Amino acid sequence: MDHDEVVRRMNFLKKAIIISILLLLAIIWILPVYVMFTTSLKTLAEVSKGEYLAFPLKLRVENWTQAYKVLKNPLKNSFLVSMGATFIIVFIGSWSGYALARFNFKGKNKLFFMIAIVTFIPYQIFLIPLTQLIVNLGLFNTLWGMILAYVILNSPMAILITSLFFRTIPKELQEAAALDGCGPINFYFKILLPLSLSGLTSAAVLSFVNIWNEFIIALSLSRDPTTRLAIPVVAGLKGSYVAQWNMLMAGAAIVSIPGILVLIFFGKFFVKGLIAGAIKE
Amino acid sequence: MFLLPALVIVGILYYMLIWTVLVSTMDWVGMNPIWKFAGLKNYKELFGMHRFWVNMRNNIIWLITFVIPTGIFGMILAFLLEIFPNFSKIVRPIYLYPLVIAPIVAGTLWAWFFDPQSGVLNSILEYLGLARFKTGWIADPKLAIYCMIAAGIWQNLGFSLVLYTAAIREIPRDHIEAAKVDGANMRQIFFHIVVPEIGHATLIIFSLLILYTLKVFDLVWIMTAGGPGYSTEVLPYLMYKLTFRQLLVGMGASVAVIILIMSIIILVPLSKWIMTRWLEE
Repeated sequence: MDHDEVVRRMNFLKKAIIISILLLLAIIWILPVYVMFTTSLKTLAEVSKGEYLAFPLKLRVENWTQAYKVLKNPLKNSFLVSMGATFIIVFIGSWSGYALARFNFKGKNKLFFMIAIVTFIPYQIFLIPLTQLIVNLGLFNTLWGMILAYVILNSPMAILITSLFFRTIPKELQEAAALDGCGPINFYFKILLPLSLSGLTSAAVLSFVNIWNEFIIALSLSRDPTTRLAIPVVAGLKGSYVAQWNMLMAGAAIVSIPGILVLIFFGKFFVKGLIAGAIKE
Repeated sequence: MFLLPALVIVGILYYMLIWTVLVSTMDWVGMNPIWKFAGLKNYKELFGMHRFWVNMRNNIIWLITFVIPTGIFGMILAFLLEIFPNFSKIVRPIYLYPLVIAPIVAGTLWAWFFDPQSGVLNSILEYLGLARFKTGWIADPKLAIYCMIAAGIWQNLGFSLVLYTAAIREIPRDHIEAAKVDGANMRQIFFHIVVPEIGHATLIIFSLLILYTLKVFDLVWIMTAGGPGYSTEVLPYLMYKLTFRQLLVGMGASVAVIILIMSIIILVPLSKWIMTRWLEE
């Protein structure tokens, strides 16, 4: 939508007011993370002066090194679980999303409907049976247990997103491939996947961020310090470093970096995934 | 064969739903499964608890004071940012980044902001000479939930902004051109063209935001732990506490079923809507 004509008709004052409101709101929006990063680089004495907006006098990396010591192993676990689960989710999602987008079979609409329901359901409802399942499989306190839980919970969303992207690939392509003796499996690996990289990336980015930031499953499926994920450990810092805001902010900043990097480098895909999950492009 | 993973995962998820409904009718207390049928006893006990009704009330407070501002501000913001395309390229990411921040981190930041002793807000008030407005914020049973909702709005405004931006960009250009020729001003374009034309997006966005209020857990956990007392608890939090802290698994499951029933009211029309959009093409 292009408004230049209308904008030209608006007077200068109106434009200035709208721009300043948007700018002010943006400043409010960025402030918490600004304060998080600056506070994480201050000493406690500096923090308690109450000058929250002031830049640190001297950059103190001690909080970061101390928080990193606590978080090192959980960060590694979080990476393994988020990456591993995302990989499986995108594979399952696109494998079945392909069938949903391109095959005709009985009950297809019903299946789509059922997948949509479990995509948007508040996933905490599954917490009790999921915990039971993981315990019964002997996977409690293991990274595989959490990977399995996240795969079960996040695959429906990936099926939905990838099937939407696959629908944009022309049907004729598959017909042509079939004429050349290319079966559906070959078609999936050799043609569909390479052509749908942007859709797959969207599903992957969305899953990764969701899993990295997830709390209640990570909290419930591991109590063992060696297999805990980063977010529950950061949540625990609030109890062990009471009112040591600089330490808490260092921990919070460290676990926020992967998400922020994803937004910087894959922002377009993240947004595409969000939209595809809800509103068709 | 392509459908197999989807069928297995959807099967597991629906099996878990049925399992939860069954467990909600069992007298299951403790870590290990007890399959002793108790009829509606759990529900009766739940409905007799003052705590449950406080939870319900809090969920309704979230529903009203979180969903409406997040939805409407997102819509207005999306419209205004579309007017200034160059400016919004810089500003839009600022509204989006809270989406990739873990709710646990967002809660830590905002808990500090609203902390009565060493909090940012109280010191800003003091600095501005407004010390008489200093108050308990997150420690005040009446205000605490609104502090949490503020954090929720901060985190999710970007979500409604992204979806509304996509919807506004789908509006056929000639509708807006025609209005411009008629000499419509911005306000008229917004109310007479944009708002009616993005009705479908509004339905989906508000549905998703309502579902979000039935998922809130992390913010409650990290900001107040449900307190003071249980004044800021919401249903998912109650479910977790009953199940994993008090080991009243049957009752926890019945809370899950109540969340399920409440979400189905939204889920069924939402999924149908998404399916019809998916089927047209």
